[in-house]
Amino acid sequence: MSSVTLTNVHKAFGTTRIVKGVDLEVRSGEFLVMVGPSGCGKTTLLRLIAGLESPDLGDILIDGARVTDTPPRDRDVAMVFQSYALYPHMTVRENMAFGLELRKLPRKDIQSRVEEAAAQLELSKLLDRKPKELSGGQRQRVAMGRALVRRPKIFLFDEPLSNLDTALRVQMRGELARLHRKLGATMIYVTHDQVEAMTLASRVAVFNGGKLQQVGAPLELYNAPANHFVATFLGSPSMNFLPAHREGTFLKGPGFQLHCPVDLGDLRDVKVGLRPQDLRIQSDGEFTGTVDAVERLGSDGYAFLTTPAGPLVSRFDRGTQVSVGETVKVCLLSNALHVFSSDGEAAILHPGDARPRVEVVA
Amino acid sequence: MKSRPFWFSALLHAGLSLACAAVLYPVLWVVKLALSPTEGLSLSANPFPEQVTFDHFRAVLLASDSAGRWLFGRQLFASVAVSGATTLVGLSLAVTAAYALSRYRFPGKESGMQALLLTQMFPATLMTVPLYSLLERLHLLGSLGGLVLVYSTASLPFCVWMLKGYFDTVPRELEEAAVMDGASPGQVFWRVVLPLARPALAVTALFSFMTAWNEFILAATLLDDQSSFTLPVALQRFVGEYKTEWGKFAAGALVVSAPVMALFYALQKHLVGGLTAGGVKG
Amino acid sequence: MCPRLAALLLLCALPAWADAPLRLWHAYRGAEETALEQAVARFTEDTGTKVELLALPYDAFSSKLTAAIPHGVGPDVFLYAHEKLRSFREKALLAPSDARLVRADYLPNALSALTLDGVTYGYPLSLKCLALYYDKDRVSSPPTTTDGWLEQLGQLSQPAQGQFGLAYEAGDFYFHAPFLFGFGGRLFDDAGRAEFQSEPMARSLAFVLGLHRRGYVPEEASGALVKSLFNAHRVAMVISGPWFAGEIDPAIRWGVAPLPTVSTTGKPMSPFLGVEAAFVSSRSTQPDKAQSLAHALSVGDGAFLRTTVGHQVPADLATLRTDAVKRDAFISHFRDAAQSAVPMPHELEMQKMWEPMKLALRALLQGGTTADEAGALADRRYRALHRPAPADASPLPWLAGAGALLLLAAAWAWVTRPREPFRKRYPEAARGLLYVAPAAAGVVTLILVPFAFGIGMSLFHHEPNGSYRFVGGANFADILQSRGYAVTEPLSFYFTLAVTVAWALVNVVLHVGLGLLLALVLKDPLLRLRGVYRVLLILPWAIPNYITALTWKGLFHRQFGAINGLLAALGVEPISWFTRFSTSFAANVVTNTWLGFPFMMVVSLGALQSIPQDLYEAAEVDGASKWTQFRRITLPLLRPALLPSVILGSVWTFNMFNIIYLVSGGEPGGATDILVSEAYRWAFQRNEQYGFAAAYSVLIFCVLWLYTTATRRLTQPEVA
Repeated sequence: MSSVTLTNVHKAFGTTRIVKGVDLEVRSGEFLVMVGPSGCGKTTLLRLIAGLESPDLGDILIDGARVTDTPPRDRDVAMVFQSYALYPHMTVRENMAFGLELRKLPRKDIQSRVEEAAAQLELSKLLDRKPKELSGGQRQRVAMGRALVRRPKIFLFDEPLSNLDTALRVQMRGELARLHRKLGATMIYVTHDQVEAMTLASRVAVFNGGKLQQVGAPLELYNAPANHFVATFLGSPSMNFLPAHREGTFLKGPGFQLHCPVDLGDLRDVKVGLRPQDLRIQSDGEFTGTVDAVERLGSDGYAFLTTPAGPLVSRFDRGTQVSVGETVKVCLLSNALHVFSSDGEAAILHPGDARPRVEVVA
Repeated sequence: MKSRPFWFSALLHAGLSLACAAVLYPVLWVVKLALSPTEGLSLSANPFPEQVTFDHFRAVLLASDSAGRWLFGRQLFASVAVSGATTLVGLSLAVTAAYALSRYRFPGKESGMQALLLTQMFPATLMTVPLYSLLERLHLLGSLGGLVLVYSTASLPFCVWMLKGYFDTVPRELEEAAVMDGASPGQVFWRVVLPLARPALAVTALFSFMTAWNEFILAATLLDDQSSFTLPVALQRFVGEYKTEWGKFAAGALVVSAPVMALFYALQKHLVGGLTAGGVKG
Repeated sequence: MCPRLAALLLLCALPAWADAPLRLWHAYRGAEETALEQAVARFTEDTGTKVELLALPYDAFSSKLTAAIPHGVGPDVFLYAHEKLRSFREKALLAPSDARLVRADYLPNALSALTLDGVTYGYPLSLKCLALYYDKDRVSSPPTTTDGWLEQLGQLSQPAQGQFGLAYEAGDFYFHAPFLFGFGGRLFDDAGRAEFQSEPMARSLAFVLGLHRRGYVPEEASGALVKSLFNAHRVAMVISGPWFAGEIDPAIRWGVAPLPTVSTTGKPMSPFLGVEAAFVSSRSTQPDKAQSLAHALSVGDGAFLRTTVGHQVPADLATLRTDAVKRDAFISHFRDAAQSAVPMPHELEMQKMWEPMKLALRALLQGGTTADEAGALADRRYRALHRPAPADASPLPWLAGAGALLLLAAAWAWVTRPREPFRKRYPEAARGLLYVAPAAAGVVTLILVPFAFGIGMSLFHHEPNGSYRFVGGANFADILQSRGYAVTEPLSFYFTLAVTVAWALVNVVLHVGLGLLLALVLKDPLLRLRGVYRVLLILPWAIPNYITALTWKGLFHRQFGAINGLLAALGVEPISWFTRFSTSFAANVVTNTWLGFPFMMVVSLGALQSIPQDLYEAAEVDGASKWTQFRRITLPLLRPALLPSVILGSVWTFNMFNIIYLVSGGEPGGATDILVSEAYRWAFQRNEQYGFAAAYSVLIFCVLWLYTTATRRLTQPEVA
């Protein structure tokens, strides 16, 4: 169990700056998921931790020791690649044993470790096959097994489930969670899939444009996103954003006004953030809009509306009748208002806050 | 796969047999020359010998010099040594260079690759004269070592291009996986990259080997000792100023070709994958 | 490597030691080689001087001598025919032999052949000239005059049955010379220039043409064919030299006689006399011993052994007078013939006669010209080939130009230099360069340096004496202005270029087409005998291409080749393959296709296997026909995999020297020559015009460079 600390890490390829100053602390034994859209620098960051790249600026510490210039093999980390990167010319057994052989472990230990990991991953019968004779899920497990046998301080995963079908992905997600509980090792996991992030992580780190946007427990991020980006990225469907201006204790926009429970001082222009899950289509409400499309999920559903303030997505209950083209009213559940600065860079208010989160300009 | 109508298969086999016959006919002709007792050309279209004798093969295989040394044996040894060494030297030079060209960025890389390709375009006709002076200056004249160096550099451009193309298709992630597994750069190369490039290695090895095995002008010009001549030089000796000993030439040609044919046969599986980049899939 | 290097240095130092063995180089084979070995052994017995023999292939012998001797690593003594005497002397390869040589010991005309400007070089060993061999079962008495000869030939020849009266290599001037001399012709005019257009020349040509027209002589006769016919009793008489005796089937009773006298002129058909001599190298470190060895080989026991064991015709009078030799009808005949033979002139002018005369003879026999016009044809070729040496040029402007270019390049590099720091731009530069270094060192020293040398050479003129003279761009100007030929004529650069491009194009299309077709068929895993087919079809690749080329040359023979045999079986008129451009070109293409398709087949097989099978299944579902699948899936996906091989293949084909040189040999009249074979001819068959040949090479290089850049430009966007 080990911690990883990144301080002010920068990385550029040629003239393209990929990582622009990241500070991050991965706690010992936690399952940290790094999410973000493609190109946000999360994979690069993982490779920096692995030692496959070296930072242009900044430091990487493992257990407090500076490893910025340490080659990967001396960092005691294992990595599972997106493409699995199994050695095509070696059998499953050889693939798993390779790292241990290089570390000159006794033959007996290697064998027992490989077999143990194989049993754990249900690979025992496949040990003498070559990768090309395996299915996608089996290859994925071999890639995991290869990391597992090493018993490293830190596991790194680079979108390991992205090449699997949905059912297999759900199953592997469960296995990964189980594995983490069992080993208690530090795991850093890169994905662009927010469901994986929410279900697996002890903490989630959200990246965009080479910068860390927010880090925290999944629910913390869901409930109190630090900015527009994080708010949009987590939660499905995404949070609604409508421009508004403050008039007294009300936030007003085209065709709507909402009561703001907290004094926002002299602030004028803001964006209100409304989770579709916190909106209901009812006989009466703060918003009026025309239904463009409807998604029914069984127990409930989402309606996609056009309102004078802009597009809006709202949940509706099973009993509610909604049809396309209809004009409906939407109401916001109590204590569910998010307020962001007008540029979206900062969160001002989350439900339950007693005070604005930023110094409001007087 | 649907099964095909009988007539189609029959046609296919007929076509292939015809192609094979066309391929075999000239070869059979060489065989006939080698096995016929006369030294002359055959005057009929029949590709099979009317009379069979192994005299020509005997003359070629048992050739000895005035001191009674078994010349063929020595020359075979020289040929094998030169071709083997050429393959080894050429391959090790090509493999390292190709790997660097495929994986690392360094100044002059692109122009270097271009230059390699360009060397294939300059006719070799006039190279003998400057090469001779050069080797003389390097004190490599008359030695098999000098010949090996010349041959291995001659086949280098092709080998480097071949191997670089192949290395390009080896996914980088495999190497990174090995690095993560704790491999040093050397171990990554030896234990992951090289085994994966086996088909391309086989092809380039075969190519280097053939370059050295079949060449005779340089060998005859650069070597100064009968017993270190390579087999093609010995073969060329049957072509004289006034007359050519066709029977022995043909027998010698078959003897010279046989090892290469055997190599082709042994490596034919690799040949198919090795010449075409993209053989490695995860 | 280190101990080997040391051993090597030692080896190099060896010749400097006083009692190092003498080195003797030769190209003898068979009985001649045995005799030489015995003679040398005798010399060692007598003098205690050890001799190291080195037998070389004839093809490489002369170039090896000219390369080795000036570097001081050549032989002490070497055996060669006297025709190269002047060339060797110009290059200062020879030491005079006057001091040791006793002139009275040898046949006078053998000595005169070795004498140049009053100085004698080497010791005459043996004489070679042509005579008439005849089959005693069919010819009771050899002809003495051409009239009698013609009568005999008429009776002996039945061309329809493949029976001929006479066979000889009619396309070679060496064999035609006796006819020329018999009709009263001469080689050079009064000014010493080669003479082609003369009355005797026309008449001799008309005579030879008559022999062929009447079916007395087989067409396109090579040495091997002549021998085969004689041994098969299918030809009654043969014109050949002493070497032919060893080739005759022992079952045949044969005799040898002088060539007949031409009835209309009354002059004998005198052949050329070739004198083989033991030459002493000018750089021998033990000149005295070397002279002794060369001398010993030419007289006494040496000469006797060579005569009795090696069946050579000696030039040594004493040996000729011994009883054993006197009794030998064969030797005495050739001795007589040699005495009346014309020593082959060693003037450079002689060297210039071969190619034009060969052209004229072949054109005549193939029906491309008449006996009266053939001389003019030869003369024209002579004038075209032997351009006046270009004038000296000052290297200064060139040096200045090169310097300016260098400066410009440096300036450009400075202006476009990357702004990023080096270390950041190339983080792994050190390792990369380290890995590349050994290969780069090899390529630079052993490929690029000789290249640079070759490119530099194109600005020089190579003098007959081996020195170089700077002539600037004169070589290029001559080539590009196609000086001496019309642009549309064989041998003009543009014609040859067009032929070369056509050659490369046709070949590549055929190689790829055939290779791909076979690959498509062989790809099917359900095909029975697939492995067998694959192994067989790959075979041509494994055989050295010079062997292939020689074999195909035989297959294409007009009268005896298997291809015409097959055509005859199909009821098609036999084709005279090398008399017309189209068929000659086709013969080259067939050979090279046979040779080249396996490579493309293997490449295509690999490329086909890399196309995922499910694409075809998807297409099948979409209702695409097999042809559509091939056109829309196979071809586009094959392209990137095939392209590098196609580029490389076309570059190789462009420079495929062996096939052209050995199959068509440029026939007819150089029309099927490609740029490389042309360059080769300029370098090695036309008085060593190395500079000119180098200029050709540079132009070839430029053409290929343009071609590959264009191909890459054209295909890059789609590939990338």
